[in-house]
Amino acid sequence: MSADRQDRWHLPADDLEEYARGALEAPRLWSADAHLAACPACRDRLNGLVDPAVADLGWARLDAELDAPRPGPLERVLVRAGVADHTARLLAATPLLRRSWLGAVAVVLLCAVAAGRAVRGTGEPLLLLGVAPLLPLAGVAFSFGPRLDPMYETAVVAPLHSFRLLMVRTAAVLAVTVPLSGLAALALPSFGPDAFGWLLPALALTAAGLALTPRLGPVAASALVGGGWVALLVAERLLSDARPLPLTAAGQLTAAALAAAAGALLFALRDRFDSGRVHDSVRPLTAGRLT
Amino acid sequence: MTAPPTVTASGLALHHRGVRAVDGVSLELGRGVTGLLGPNGAGKTTLLRILATATPPDSGALSVLGHDPGTVRGRREARRALGYLPQDPGFHAGFTAFEFVDYVAVLKELTDRRTRHAEVRRVLDAVGLAEVRGRRIRRLSGGMRQRVALAAALLGDPAFLVLDEPTVGLDPEQRIRFRELVAEAGEGRTVLLSTHQTEDVAMLCGRVLVMDRGRVRFDGTPAELTAAARGRVWSSAARSPGVLAGFRTGSGEFRNIGDPPAGAALLEPTLEDGYLLALDGAGAVTA
Repeated sequence: MSADRQDRWHLPADDLEEYARGALEAPRLWSADAHLAACPACRDRLNGLVDPAVADLGWARLDAELDAPRPGPLERVLVRAGVADHTARLLAATPLLRRSWLGAVAVVLLCAVAAGRAVRGTGEPLLLLGVAPLLPLAGVAFSFGPRLDPMYETAVVAPLHSFRLLMVRTAAVLAVTVPLSGLAALALPSFGPDAFGWLLPALALTAAGLALTPRLGPVAASALVGGGWVALLVAERLLSDARPLPLTAAGQLTAAALAAAAGALLFALRDRFDSGRVHDSVRPLTAGRLT
Repeated sequence: MTAPPTVTASGLALHHRGVRAVDGVSLELGRGVTGLLGPNGAGKTTLLRILATATPPDSGALSVLGHDPGTVRGRREARRALGYLPQDPGFHAGFTAFEFVDYVAVLKELTDRRTRHAEVRRVLDAVGLAEVRGRRIRRLSGGMRQRVALAAALLGDPAFLVLDEPTVGLDPEQRIRFRELVAEAGEGRTVLLSTHQTEDVAMLCGRVLVMDRGRVRFDGTPAELTAAARGRVWSSAARSPGVLAGFRTGSGEFRNIGDPPAGAALLEPTLEDGYLLALDGAGAVTA
């Protein structure tokens, strides 16, 4: 019965030729691997395209492919979206992209929106403004560092530059938290430009947290920056009834300038992430390991 | 002509919270398995982390396969030739064994999917985990997890392998199996193995370093370390005062290590005796 099914469809000649040259890319490659494993006719066609020695090597690779577990749903989505499969694998190990984290982010934002709907006072989305910038800040802090990344030690001694890994993960965290916060903004009763006033502060806080990480460690750096942000908002509300400072043009410009300055500082410090000099004030690198 | 050393270190020092975790270590490592023995807090892990480029020293010079890990380029080149099994290898427990090793392979710059997967399969086969490569790490035993971490360290056939207490927590059978793997891994490459187990050193290592309070106290062959205790191990019917170590054996006699009294019944020393004496007499025992 399965032979009948195989008779109906075979690998297109182009795909087969690319496969023979080793040039076929995922996800078509996965489809070709799976089909070749089950279809003797296409295997014969493939053998006709390559010399026997190359074909043997190909079968060895195919064995390895068939042994390789199917990538998880997140990786499959990323590869289909055009992300290179090795980058997708790096992203799959980002703690924030695990289900529990996504759930936590969603709950925090839902609470912010619910509170915004319950308190229809000034019309300014204060709670979302306060919370949304903290999410990427916390997400990045929890994605990197000796304490929070279980594979930090393995990653830091790998030849892939740790700053690149950090940037891949930061991009992943922003790609998750910013759209979710955007959705939360859309759900606010007072929807308007102010509903997105958190965006530039979010970038500024994330960049500042990262720039302080080599000196303070990811947890202390994020706590300091996040605590400063909350203290600023609270103090400002206590002292003034005017429009919240971060939502004014001056506040937004300041956030943009801070984001740019912290970004430049972070880039200047990039090698500190790779040399193993990232300090973790909560559990220093070698604490308990001085054996 | 002898091959140039894989690792050359001179005057390595690292302070941690006011403690000299590594205090002026100079050494050269060549091919074969070198054991690093020492008590808790001796600085073994800190030294291994420096040699594995996981942390930079405060001072001193280091060369790994001719590269200086103090520079960006040198660090990258050294890391390309390096395999490191940390004392406490972290895992993403939701990954399968294959996914974990595949992730480390990406970190080791194996970006071509097919080549990478073939290499992942090769190293998992090499550590005898072919059958469980699709199993989640949280469902693997401690011994299997250590083998997964060793497989990851073996990716890319590194010339220099750093293993930090890989046999801790393994039962005797797992330990023997792991020793076989380390012995295989030691053929043709430089392996530095930190351990608490003198048996590991006796069975695997052509050279042994004993470290205490941040310094290398002994550097020689296991036979030399054992020989250094010759004439300092004896048996007695009663507990001898002032010995370095003394305990009653199954036969009822006391086995004593230290400076024997005149006419003592001397015993053949073991590697463990040599190790204890090396720790006791900083500088008194040399190869």
